[in-house]
Amino acid sequence: MAGRRLFTIAEKEFFDHARSRKFLLIFGILLVVAIVGMIGGITEYNKNLADYNRVQSASSSDGNGFMPEKPSILGVFSSVATYLVFVGGILGIAMGFDLVSKEKESKSLKILLSHPVYRDEVINGKALGGIIALGCALGVVLFIALATLLIYGIVPDGNELVLIAVFGGVSFLLIFSYFAIALFMSTAMDESGSALIYTIIIFIVLSVLIPTLANDTVIENVIGSQPELPQELLDQMQKPANSTGSSAGMGVMNGLANNKEAWNKFTGRMQAYWEKRQMIHDTLALFSPTMNYETITSSVTYRTSGSGMGGGGAIAVSSFTMSKKQDTSVEDLLGKIAGNMIALLLFPAVFFGLAYMQFMRLDVR
Amino acid sequence: MIQLEHLSKEYNGIRAVNDLSAGIPDGEIFGLLGPNGSGKSTTILMLVGLIEPTTGRCLVNGLDVARDPITVKQQIGYMPEDVGFYPTLSAEENLTYFGRLYGMDTRTIARRCSDLLPLVGLEGVTKNIGGYSKGMRQRLGLAKALLNEPSVIILDEPTANLDPQGVADYRRIIRDVAREGKSVVVASHILEEVSKVSTSVGILSAGKLVAQGSWKDLAQDLSARSSSHVTIHVETQDAMPEFNHADLISIDYDRDRHGAVLVARSDIRDDLAGYLAQNGVRLRGLSREELSLEETFLSYYHVAG
Repeated sequence: MAGRRLFTIAEKEFFDHARSRKFLLIFGILLVVAIVGMIGGITEYNKNLADYNRVQSASSSDGNGFMPEKPSILGVFSSVATYLVFVGGILGIAMGFDLVSKEKESKSLKILLSHPVYRDEVINGKALGGIIALGCALGVVLFIALATLLIYGIVPDGNELVLIAVFGGVSFLLIFSYFAIALFMSTAMDESGSALIYTIIIFIVLSVLIPTLANDTVIENVIGSQPELPQELLDQMQKPANSTGSSAGMGVMNGLANNKEAWNKFTGRMQAYWEKRQMIHDTLALFSPTMNYETITSSVTYRTSGSGMGGGGAIAVSSFTMSKKQDTSVEDLLGKIAGNMIALLLFPAVFFGLAYMQFMRLDVR
Repeated sequence: MIQLEHLSKEYNGIRAVNDLSAGIPDGEIFGLLGPNGSGKSTTILMLVGLIEPTTGRCLVNGLDVARDPITVKQQIGYMPEDVGFYPTLSAEENLTYFGRLYGMDTRTIARRCSDLLPLVGLEGVTKNIGGYSKGMRQRLGLAKALLNEPSVIILDEPTANLDPQGVADYRRIIRDVAREGKSVVVASHILEEVSKVSTSVGILSAGKLVAQGSWKDLAQDLSARSSSHVTIHVETQDAMPEFNHADLISIDYDRDRHGAVLVARSDIRDDLAGYLAQNGVRLRGLSREELSLEETFLSYYHVAG
């Protein structure tokens, strides 16, 4: 009985979304940018693949051992991810900002709650309806993305399909994060206009302000510049080649070997500095679904080995600590982005929890 | 059957309803009368399980609303004061949604829709609720309140936006429903509305039930009050000062305080004129008239206040 009521509410919410002009409009935009992004990504992929094949055939004929990395199909999704961060966030907000406040404004909430339903069934039903609508929207986007790949003759293997599914899952979590934030604001505010404004403010904080604070320049201004090479090591490095006729490089190496203790001290300080920077960046990133999403998708689409929570892939802050791009196993990759995935999962959970509590205590006078 | 037992509700330390007890048997139309802010809507909200009482309890067919809200809500049909529906759905779609929440099957919902929509004058109206007038929404609200064939019907200000035909239809429907043995509660601040439809009445003032009984008993009491109470209209050239008297029931000052309307148990015009002269206030007029039915009701409110 309780399940039936929940699904009745969820079904109505789903069809409300599906018939909503704003949902259809943003979904349409999402589809267009996804297709355009896919086509752009496929063009780039084909070009990289041609380069790879050319280099490979050249290296096998001249016996050169240098082998470039084979481009990944997942790279095609990177441009989709770039668009999805923004358009997906807007879609989540558009779906959630008036879910409860609209009912308060139209006075339908009072009449709804006078029916034999528990309040938790109402808020859960609303969330479930939204989740299903979001899932369908993203499902269509992914289906079209895969279809586009197949049309261009690109067939993903099993591992790549897993990673595409991960990409779809985290994209869903990103959009659901902003949906949950909007739902909470809709529950807390009496008017949809206020709910929208406050949700947009949070969206800007999470997707613009926090990434700005996690920016290299800002962090450098806070913790200072990286340690400079000590004068004694600098002098060693600037010494000309010695009389034994060894090269300049060898001279530097010999000089550094003579000053090993100073060199080790310097590299230790440098390591500590960059770790501190990385830690600040990663910590800030945890508070931004957008940054978590970018970290995960860049790890997935480039299949680089991430640097753990929030610092993996293409946005690692320093060349000093940034891992060298290398092919990693799907399991390793998932392990490395697990922290970001948990953080991304926590966002909707926390905001939906807040919306739930607020709704349970809502004054319906 | 509705039973309200020592019902009280506090909001931030302020008592909106204070120790209210009443019983409404099956087949009775109970009018809950009171001015704005007297606690009518709060009482109704407790009765339909939308808010919980601070103390006391509401029983519907012997079931405690706060303890067994789902079962009680199955047996209640409720129409709030500002009746709200989903504007993007049609009347039938709205009723279907609410019917499903009652656990009604599709065929029953369709049958009830085809019975109720013509009954409230909305037959053949296919447009979405967003295009409805307030009166049409109120008509649909009445249909919604009857959708689940409830044994208890609770209506808050049911005629506020209805045209005369709508009011007549509403009265006919409510009387028919009561004849089927259902309890009906009609909360309103409009005396005429309650007097025309209800069989018993309770008068709320400042959260307290100051009078309760059959319409006949109350009418007798009102008539006795009407003959023993007077209304005095006073107009002054200067600002009207504060005035107190043992027989004074109520005093409503004009907005600019150059006059007032007093309700008193006796003709206190001489005392009032003397008091005003003492305070140097020049009189422009002092007249007496018998209490109207409305003013007699107001006297109930003021006594309680």
